[in-house]
Amino acid sequence: MNADRGELAGTFKERARKALGDAHLRVALDRTTGNARTKRAAAVAAWPDFDRARAAAAAIKDHALQNFPYYLEQFERNALASGARLHWARDAKEACAAVIKICRETRAKTVTRSKSMLGEEIGLPHALAEAGVRRVETDLAEHIIQLAGETPSHIIWPAAHRTREDVSKLFEKHHRDHLLLTEVEAMVDSARRELRDDFFSADVGISGANFLVAETGAICTITNEGNAELTTTPPRVHIVTAGIEKIVATTEHALQLTRVLVRSATGADLTQYTTFHCGPKRAGDLDGPEEFHIVLVDHGRTQMLEDMPEMLRCLRCGACLNHCVVYRKIGGHAYGGAYPGPMGSAITPVFDGLEPSRDLPHACTLNGHCKQVCPVDIPLPTILRDWRAKSYRQGFESRAVRLGLALWAFIASKPALYRAALAVALPLLRRRGKDGWISALPFAPGWTESRDFPAPPEKTFLARIASGEEA
Amino acid sequence: MVQNVHPGGPRVGLFATCLVDMLRPNIGFSALELLRAAGCTVEIPKTQTCCGQPAYNSGDDASARKLARQVIEIFEGFDYLVAPSGSCAATIRVHYPDLFRAEPAMRARAEKLSAKTWELLSFLVDVRGFAPTGVSCKASATYHDTCSGLRELGIKTQPRALLSAIEGLEMRALEGEETCCGFGGTFCVKYSEISDAIVTEKAENVVATGADLLLGGDLGCLLNMAGKLRRAGAPIRVFHAAELLAGRAIHAIGEEKP
Amino acid sequence: MSAHDILFAALRRLCPDEEVPDAIAARAGALARAMQACLPPLEFPDLVENFVARVTAEKVGATVEVLAGWEHLPDAVARYALAQGLEQEVALQPDPRLLALDWGFVRDVPLKSDTMIAVGVARGGIAETGSLLFHSGPDAPTLYGFMPLHHIVALETRTIVARFEDYTAQEQGKPHPRNVNFITGASGTTDIEGVLARGAHGPRRLHILLIG
Ligand code: SF4
Repeated sequence: MNADRGELAGTFKERARKALGDAHLRVALDRTTGNARTKRAAAVAAWPDFDRARAAAAAIKDHALQNFPYYLEQFERNALASGARLHWARDAKEACAAVIKICRETRAKTVTRSKSMLGEEIGLPHALAEAGVRRVETDLAEHIIQLAGETPSHIIWPAAHRTREDVSKLFEKHHRDHLLLTEVEAMVDSARRELRDDFFSADVGISGANFLVAETGAICTITNEGNAELTTTPPRVHIVTAGIEKIVATTEHALQLTRVLVRSATGADLTQYTTFHCGPKRAGDLDGPEEFHIVLVDHGRTQMLEDMPEMLRCLRCGACLNHCVVYRKIGGHAYGGAYPGPMGSAITPVFDGLEPSRDLPHACTLNGHCKQVCPVDIPLPTILRDWRAKSYRQGFESRAVRLGLALWAFIASKPALYRAALAVALPLLRRRGKDGWISALPFAPGWTESRDFPAPPEKTFLARIASGEEA
Repeated sequence: MVQNVHPGGPRVGLFATCLVDMLRPNIGFSALELLRAAGCTVEIPKTQTCCGQPAYNSGDDASARKLARQVIEIFEGFDYLVAPSGSCAATIRVHYPDLFRAEPAMRARAEKLSAKTWELLSFLVDVRGFAPTGVSCKASATYHDTCSGLRELGIKTQPRALLSAIEGLEMRALEGEETCCGFGGTFCVKYSEISDAIVTEKAENVVATGADLLLGGDLGCLLNMAGKLRRAGAPIRVFHAAELLAGRAIHAIGEEKP
Repeated sequence: MSAHDILFAALRRLCPDEEVPDAIAARAGALARAMQACLPPLEFPDLVENFVARVTAEKVGATVEVLAGWEHLPDAVARYALAQGLEQEVALQPDPRLLALDWGFVRDVPLKSDTMIAVGVARGGIAETGSLLFHSGPDAPTLYGFMPLHHIVALETRTIVARFEDYTAQEQGKPHPRNVNFITGASGTTDIEGVLARGAHGPRRLHILLIG
């Protein structure tokens, strides 16, 4: 749905190439992900048993997923009892339709929104625009990219691709007071002034949810800025959009997961604002929404439960992005979906289909750093490799790749043939070398575009052993 | 089959790996010497070829199984399978059982082999309690933790412990020592521009150490970094740690005269 | 079939190992305890000391003043306003404990979008993170914690518990308020280059008056 957007145009390789050529993007990514890695490392160093806690967190999520219908039903019952109204959506279209319908019934002109990756996933910004509803993004980073007319490039720092210098220019151009600011503090202040009135004049506030708590029917939001509460409390209507996998058993579990989530995301012990919202305004309340709607979205979750249940543990902390060597070089837009980085490569094929997105699971070195830092120990490399196997089985890989692998397996499974082939091939290859190095490989030009390759020796190790050489 | 008999020591099948076999026999000889010095009876089955990792990582499970079956047949009779590569050892140890999840009999054999498969440096330390003696090398060196060994097999302290026994060797810390070098097997050819960006950063960090030598435990990664350093004109010499430990670090990668 | 029924049918098919309710609850409890078993110890055994250390740590960045009793609150607020160069005007959360105090020359003004100072009362504190706890209600509207630029919060030290788990144990079986807010420091954002800046939309300063 975003294929027409400038930053998302073209194929994965084209977008990646463009990103690699963008020195400015590299600076922005290095600053944001570098800061994030440093802070996470400090937080984890202060928690000696963090690895055990990751396993405990994974078990807490798995428990909710193992008893998914039970907990979701319990959530439904308790949320209804709190006065919330529930809407169930199988896909992105139904989810957007549910939100738009509520906006229409409210005759909403302006909605404020606090950052929700699910909203991006289902294309809510686009749907609101089509419905003629003015959307005001209140999260600072979302505000920045709304001004820039872009999509998020990181799930925690949507404006990770923007430097402070970029933000300064955007604010000077778009903010009412048109000031040229150099300090981050002053920029934050400018956004505060710019968005202030919208918080209080919006008709509807839309948020996501970090957790759906079965035992209470409450939804939990976690923010740094306080924009979620300012988005959801003053307007007459609060709409929550949430993926069904956000379900957890208890408030205690939600808070326990928050501990590992926040440390993995920003390195703080807890974000500034952790709020459980339970139903609309009550008798005697001086503030709070009169209507409280929760749109519960499947959009591929049941499919994931079948194919890669571990992925439903994901807390959207962004640690796997910050530690991914590929993400750090190409940024989020190159991935082409709402979710970038390792977790994005794992789930985008569910949303978009494997064939058009099959580059994503392949554009990975399978180095495992993502799994190591994931607070719920999701085996991302395994999931990505499984996508590769599926892509191979379904015949999406090129003929050249298939032939190459088949040929290698054929020769390597016939030791005598293998030895004979090497005895012929290695001297030929060796002849291409100069001073011990080959600067252009015939079968792997990708290697020698940017690296040299050492010339092979005259004889293989096994040939030398066979000829009696001992050491 | 070549045999070196050490009565009482375990029978180790040395799996040289296809890259070492083809491109750097010196690592194979180094492994052989180190294993013998650690009291093992080493055999080098001559029908060995490739562990199937390229096929496995490309999603070609059928080809991977074909090669995995071969490795299992060749090596299951040994007390240990040892390979001078974290990623090949991890393929056998971590991924073979999964490859045969639909074939219980093969799976059982894969699991048995998995349990006795080791990467060379961690085998020397963790199984054999080995430390090299009488090896000296007057140089400064830095160590890159190759990802499969580090994260799939937990290899971190073992190579450093071994290297600390080398007289005259000064170890220098590498910024981002646990960050992937961008090799990734077929990744580095398929997505060569992304791979280049990653290895460029790695090479910069290596150069910044000012060390004479770059060491590691996986030839694929070492080739990637050595190739980049050479293209960038950096004079750092690249060796597998085993070559240094065996006192065979004479010609670095790319230095053997044609 | 409705979207709801289709979804539940799919989930029931995909979750064949669902347990019986009692077993589920027992398991949920065991999992929470397993997590508790790997928590890092608090830095200080004294809860108040730990709370203060966390909340004044650089990454949380609140300030704390200790008062001997509720009656000293108005003075402390007046001093804070003076030190900050602000008018002696505050929006008082309609908590009976605040309203009962003699505010002298400090004026109580309605809460507005440009309110400089609001004074509130936290229901409790969490020592492990330095978090303040609020339950919304007629005497505790949510927005007092979000609209002002300076948020001054009174907290009785006896209400500080060690951890989140102690809070949830306390609340077991009680009705859930509309909003439960854990506030940990002043509003901040790291959205520009990952660098922390204060006062994004919520308060820029959080000042805690500990009543012991
Ligand atoms: S996959 Fe793990 S590390 Fe990545 S965003 Fe999800 S929870 Fe965080």
